[in-house]
Amino acid sequence: MKGIWLCWGAVFRVKLAEMMAYRSHFALSMLLLIAGDLAVPLVTLLVYSSGASFPGWSLYEALLVQAVFVLAKGIAFPFFFGMVGTTLSQVREGTFDLLLLKPRPVMLMSMLNGFDPDDFGRLLSGGVLFGYALSGIAAPGAGDWLRFMLLFLASISILFAMSLFLSGLLFRWVGSSRVFDIFDAVTSFGMYPGTIYSKTLSNMLTYVLPIGLIAFVPAAALLGREGWGALWALASAAGIVGVSMLYWNAMLKNYSSAGG
Amino acid sequence: MDMIEVKELTRTFTIYERGHTLREVAKSLIRRPMKEVRAVDSISFNISQGELVAFLGPNGAGKSTTLKMLSGVLHPSSGDIRCMGLVPWKQRREYVRKIGAVFGQKSQLLWDIPPSDAFYMNKAIYGVPDKEYKETLDELVELLQVGDIMRKPTRQLSLGERMRCEFIMAMLHRPDLVFLDEPTIGLDMIAKENIRNFIRSMNRKKVTFILTTHDLEEVELLAERVMVINHGRIIVDDTLSGLRKRLGDKKTVRIVTELPVPDELPAGLRIMERIRPFEVELEVDTEILPLRPFISQFNEQFGILDMAIEELPIEAVMKELYSEPDVQSYAAAPVQNLFQVNNGKTRSLD
Repeated sequence: MKGIWLCWGAVFRVKLAEMMAYRSHFALSMLLLIAGDLAVPLVTLLVYSSGASFPGWSLYEALLVQAVFVLAKGIAFPFFFGMVGTTLSQVREGTFDLLLLKPRPVMLMSMLNGFDPDDFGRLLSGGVLFGYALSGIAAPGAGDWLRFMLLFLASISILFAMSLFLSGLLFRWVGSSRVFDIFDAVTSFGMYPGTIYSKTLSNMLTYVLPIGLIAFVPAAALLGREGWGALWALASAAGIVGVSMLYWNAMLKNYSSAGG
Repeated sequence: MDMIEVKELTRTFTIYERGHTLREVAKSLIRRPMKEVRAVDSISFNISQGELVAFLGPNGAGKSTTLKMLSGVLHPSSGDIRCMGLVPWKQRREYVRKIGAVFGQKSQLLWDIPPSDAFYMNKAIYGVPDKEYKETLDELVELLQVGDIMRKPTRQLSLGERMRCEFIMAMLHRPDLVFLDEPTIGLDMIAKENIRNFIRSMNRKKVTFILTTHDLEEVELLAERVMVINHGRIIVDDTLSGLRKRLGDKKTVRIVTELPVPDELPAGLRIMERIRPFEVELEVDTEILPLRPFISQFNEQFGILDMAIEELPIEAVMKELYSEPDVQSYAAAPVQNLFQVNNGKTRSLD
């Protein structure tokens, strides 16, 4: 385990050095990511300013859902979602070979390789939005915070599983950048309170495609709208992570390198 | 004891085929005809520790696929590999700690930062202790003379400098076995010489090297043993001198004469190149016409003014081997059964 942490440390240092080689690109990327992630909350603000609303949700409560979503992405994207992009290019070029030549788990190497400090911009924008949303709601109790933190862990796990599903797909579906569109299309449902959808869709987004677990369920827990019963999501997330890891390793066997 | 044992190794790939016409492209949206390609076809060989073996073959012959299976990157379709007692694709993590790889066309360095940072990252990935890392790095830096360049961003280095750093990346964890896939591709003579000297010095320390290249000069300068792969099969597994003798015991003779040499020559002689009317390059099959009678007869007939005798270039041997479309494996077959010589011309393999 110590070795793995040392690896993380070394990769973090090296990737940061890589980013600093082009400081203006780094700064611009951060700014653009922040602007991009704040677009939907801005639309929400406009909706509420015009007198419309998500039924049963105040502006700050709706923004809290979106803040949790951006925060979760702010952790997932720099640390492990980058593996989708690196798998996409490395499998197509055959340079994934180089990861297989390292004496560490291939999944870990793939994650380390996709580590992207640029994406910490999302964490910053999520943090700002989260603080703003909290300023407009009643202060949550300790129990609410505990439930939120546990459910936020489930949220990160769901995004981790999605990274593995999409990255795994690329071992067979070589070179398809459409995986990013799939991710955006599917997760966009998670940016809004689950109760605005029909009961069937809401259930689907919670129990079948657990997009609701990314932001809605943790935010609802912080608002005191979910009790301890919502912690079933932890078991569900653990199960999905397990399945995604098995899937990724099974798909890795399809890797056939490139001509050489 | 053998370091590498390969038995009946086979790898097939399924490839999708489609034509280039609009009709064929449209058809391929619904149904894509599949074709199974046997990239490596039931090959077997052993390699001992400290050997420097060259894998040769035309493009698409199966060299790189074999190398990828040997390094644990690809699973074979069938057959078995034991390298240092391990099965590369089953005990991958334990195995890759003991091997290194340099790919002429795939860089392990990081483009925007200095090689020294990439070395540091490899140290952590391989878990090399600080003291060992420093000792190895100092030794490699001195051998490859990269002390002044390893702190420059990789993108500012020349190809030769980058390749030297690639070797450091591959050797930092002190591997026992190193795979080299066209390591000197695109390099100038000086850079090639540096790399070759380094390979030789490591090989003297009992590091085993498996080299794939199209640079036959490199093979002549480095490898003791040559395996030629074509159509996924090993067609030659021999020493370099043994490989030359597969075309018969032949010499190249560059000769300047008093009288012009005619196109028609007796058995055992063939004009390879006519340089000037009185200067030719001949291929002499010394099994048919030994050198002494050749020189005396040639001198009598044409009057020798100057002469240089050399081994038959390895290129000529390889050209002959590569040109065979359906050549059968003859790695262990006796040399005299493989070629027939008729009127001084080498014929195809049986």
